[in-house]
Amino acid sequence: MIAQGHPRSIGKHVPRREDPYLLRGEGRFLDDIAEPKDTLFLSFAMSPHAHARILAIRTDAASALPGVVAVYTAEDMARFVKPIRTVIEIQGYRASSRMVLAQDEVRFVGEHVAVVVAEDPYIAQDAAELIEVDYEPLPAAVRLEEADSESAPLVHEDIPRNVMFEAAFASPDFQAAFESAEMIVSETFRTGRVAGVPLEPRGCLALLDHVADSLLFYTSTQIPHLARTALSEILDFPEPRIRVVTPEVGGGFGTKAQFYTEEVVTAALALNLRRPIKWVQDRREELLTSIHARDHIYRLEAAIDGEGRIKALRTDLTTNAGAYSSYPFGCTLEATGGARMIVGPYDIRNYAFHTRAIATHTCPSGAYRGVAQPSCFMAIEGLMDRIGRKLGIDPATVRQRNLIRSEQLPYTNVLGVRYDTGSYEECLRRALERVDYWNFRKRQAEARDDDEVLRGIGICCFTEVAGAGSGGWRVRGLTKVPGFDSASIKVEPTGKVTLLVSQAAAGQGHLTTFAQVLADYLGVKVEDVFVSEGDTATAPYGTNTFASRGAVAAGGAVIKAAQSLRQKIARIAAFLLDVDVERVELTESKAIDKENPEKSVDFRQVAQIAYSMTSVALPQGESFGLEVVEMYDPPLATWPNAVHAVVVAVDRRTAKVSIEKYVVVHDSGRLINPMIVDGQIHGGIVQGIGEALMEQIVYDEDGQMLNANLLDYLMPMALDVPQIDISHIETPSIDALGGFKGVGEGGVIGAVPAVTNAVADALARTGANINRLPLRPSYLLREMRRRQLAVDGDRK
Amino acid sequence: MSQATSLRKTDVTLTINGKSYTRQVEPRRLLVDFIRHDVGLKATHIGCEHGVCGACTVRIDGRTARSCLHFAVAVQGAEIETLEGLSADGRLAGLQKAFHDAHGLQCGYCTPGVLLTAEEFLSENPEPSEQEIRAALSNNLCRCTGYVNIVKAIANAARDRDKTTADPAGESRK
Ligand code: FES
Ligand code: FES
Repeated sequence: MIAQGHPRSIGKHVPRREDPYLLRGEGRFLDDIAEPKDTLFLSFAMSPHAHARILAIRTDAASALPGVVAVYTAEDMARFVKPIRTVIEIQGYRASSRMVLAQDEVRFVGEHVAVVVAEDPYIAQDAAELIEVDYEPLPAAVRLEEADSESAPLVHEDIPRNVMFEAAFASPDFQAAFESAEMIVSETFRTGRVAGVPLEPRGCLALLDHVADSLLFYTSTQIPHLARTALSEILDFPEPRIRVVTPEVGGGFGTKAQFYTEEVVTAALALNLRRPIKWVQDRREELLTSIHARDHIYRLEAAIDGEGRIKALRTDLTTNAGAYSSYPFGCTLEATGGARMIVGPYDIRNYAFHTRAIATHTCPSGAYRGVAQPSCFMAIEGLMDRIGRKLGIDPATVRQRNLIRSEQLPYTNVLGVRYDTGSYEECLRRALERVDYWNFRKRQAEARDDDEVLRGIGICCFTEVAGAGSGGWRVRGLTKVPGFDSASIKVEPTGKVTLLVSQAAAGQGHLTTFAQVLADYLGVKVEDVFVSEGDTATAPYGTNTFASRGAVAAGGAVIKAAQSLRQKIARIAAFLLDVDVERVELTESKAIDKENPEKSVDFRQVAQIAYSMTSVALPQGESFGLEVVEMYDPPLATWPNAVHAVVVAVDRRTAKVSIEKYVVVHDSGRLINPMIVDGQIHGGIVQGIGEALMEQIVYDEDGQMLNANLLDYLMPMALDVPQIDISHIETPSIDALGGFKGVGEGGVIGAVPAVTNAVADALARTGANINRLPLRPSYLLREMRRRQLAVDGDRK
Repeated sequence: MSQATSLRKTDVTLTINGKSYTRQVEPRRLLVDFIRHDVGLKATHIGCEHGVCGACTVRIDGRTARSCLHFAVAVQGAEIETLEGLSADGRLAGLQKAFHDAHGLQCGYCTPGVLLTAEEFLSENPEPSEQEIRAALSNNLCRCTGYVNIVKAIANAARDRDKTTADPAGESRK
């Protein structure tokens, strides 16, 4: 497929093309786009109540402020905007419908009730504060545990008991296996509510092109194509007349893989007022309204034998959906993800789950990096450690006994999901070695009760669903998420190559990596390739950028497109070289005669003929141009796997956690650019460390968010994080073109469980049972003391 | 709340990257908005507007500061430097190269603030330890890189400052 002798680009640390302009501060993020002089700015009035009836909205004072052009409420908006309804075709799902401005009732603090349009953003904000709303406060269901009860206030009248989604599964022999096992190990795990918090908040800019009567919509999103389709449907405006462009995006992490109400409002008002409209949120709004995630409760029961092998596993999962199903993934994503992914790299043949998504009066949940995987692996990996403790078997050994062995691959798991390739045992073996596991255990055994720090080691073995194709989304009922991605290649008349992909990066370095892929598969010099994405006017339709799908889905599309275009290039070259087409090989932007390598023509010469720009006519039967578009539908999913192993020290007095060693052995198949891959893993790990140790969105019992700012929503800074030792195993996927498996989420998935287990292990000798996030010192101290009190009590 | 109705604009003159700019702005106009929107220099970013993230870092009279925490009127007459200025006159060339080689940026949104912080830090501490670099970054939030390669890039830049010839092999090789 790749020409012999072609200098390989895939697998190299190719420096990023994105860097030079970003390092000069020339990246154009949403708020950097120069808006036209007559642009109007939006500011939203937000609900101060978690749940209330809207009795009256008075907008006169706001409207009277000089510089204010208009004020809209839900009633005005309903004239030209349909509600957002997240369609999910799965049993047990109850759709909620959401108006872009709250109508009659507000369901979370921060929900928009009105919007001001003004000539200046400062004025818009002033006016939003002048909007007076009469509310009748209603009882709110804020905490997951409270909302999930018969007596809880209802979030939606038509959703009984706040159950937005419910599903169950049991494998045929589950019951028998569960009942006949020697013993049961069970635990409840409570994960914390966190958010992606990209450094650039969300925003959009809607411009009208009066000539073509069309809408040019800039938005800081990961899903330009899906956003365009949604806009068209919700606004009833023809899709071909909408062009969505993603500028430089300052971090996404799934937070920007949702389509939001503000995007609809901005576009709708531009069309309605016939003026450019801009909206940029501030950080408080960002934390109040961008999707939250991981507010989950896992109740696990494992039936095990005396060796620690899991004979049957039962999961009961409850997730907090927030007030509405976010778009397009909805409330089912975390609930199905956690319940389905938890079997991970383990050979568990009997499995049952019950999973639910519960509506609460809080911000909607959505697809934050890793989705439910950081939490479901925290649960199963926490259980592995407990099995070890219960039986007196080292937890690493428990894992070794349960892992899928390499000779079992390809392996179809208990849910019928195929893992094509993987390296579960090898990753664990190597991680234990690199973290010096057995020596650590020896030293740990010598630790004394009066040591000032407690040391612990935590492991997470995981598989990760990545690069899902259409089948993968359909299984989960997400029929509005297509699953394929696409690539368009144009060898221009000058012989240089334009590559358009259906992606929208937010820092992943796509302009570099896709050029590398094309270079190898088309036989073109990497510097001759120019990559562009994120503009629906030029890039072919696709599913866009989330769920670790870029390399797999769009990488596959690039390969497919390259394969079809190289045929044509080879045919024209064969004609020019006067040899059989089989003798032509493409390499380094040239077509050479394999049997006579001095004979060659370059891409430019071939292109000149294809575009009819020389005296030589195009061979008979060939069509003009050198362009191709291909869609690629990846398999159900690809299955990266990894092991994270972490050593922590916990100060016995202050319960401060320091990470002393962090080891990752990672397998995401064939690597395109190892430097970029490592960067993805680093970033994910640090988000995971944040999630495990400090991050938490806190609502009080009335549903007020107590930390909607970056002072109080703590995220890791440079001093909080360790050096990270990454090594790679490359087991190519055999199901996906190119062998890539995707790498966007693995870091965070492995980090949350590994760090949690390390802290739990450190504290195990105090008798504390650590099963909830985040692992703040206050919580750890309480658990240590609780146990100490119990011990002291026993002594008396 | 409704003070907006009576806000009088005043002339504010600032020197930004060696050029003088006078604009009529409200007393509450943030320095970062003056730089970005009144003057049109967009390298300085906004991540929080409450002094935590460091995306808006600039130099005011030679010291790094957060431009979201100052009103433009309050720094009347000051000399401001932004990434555009430092980049154009080549003072950042070493750091920029080090960040490129070590993959010290992903989305690039934090990068202008990080570069300004790093430049000031290295001028005061040319041979920093890793811990000192991490401490120097304690006012800059990055959500993408996990800081690993930012720290490495700054360490490499410090090392390469003394050398006349940089090591072009790059440090990210393993
Ligand atoms: S924008 Fe100034 S510190 Fe965040
Ligand atoms: S590179 Fe994205 S925030 Fe630092």
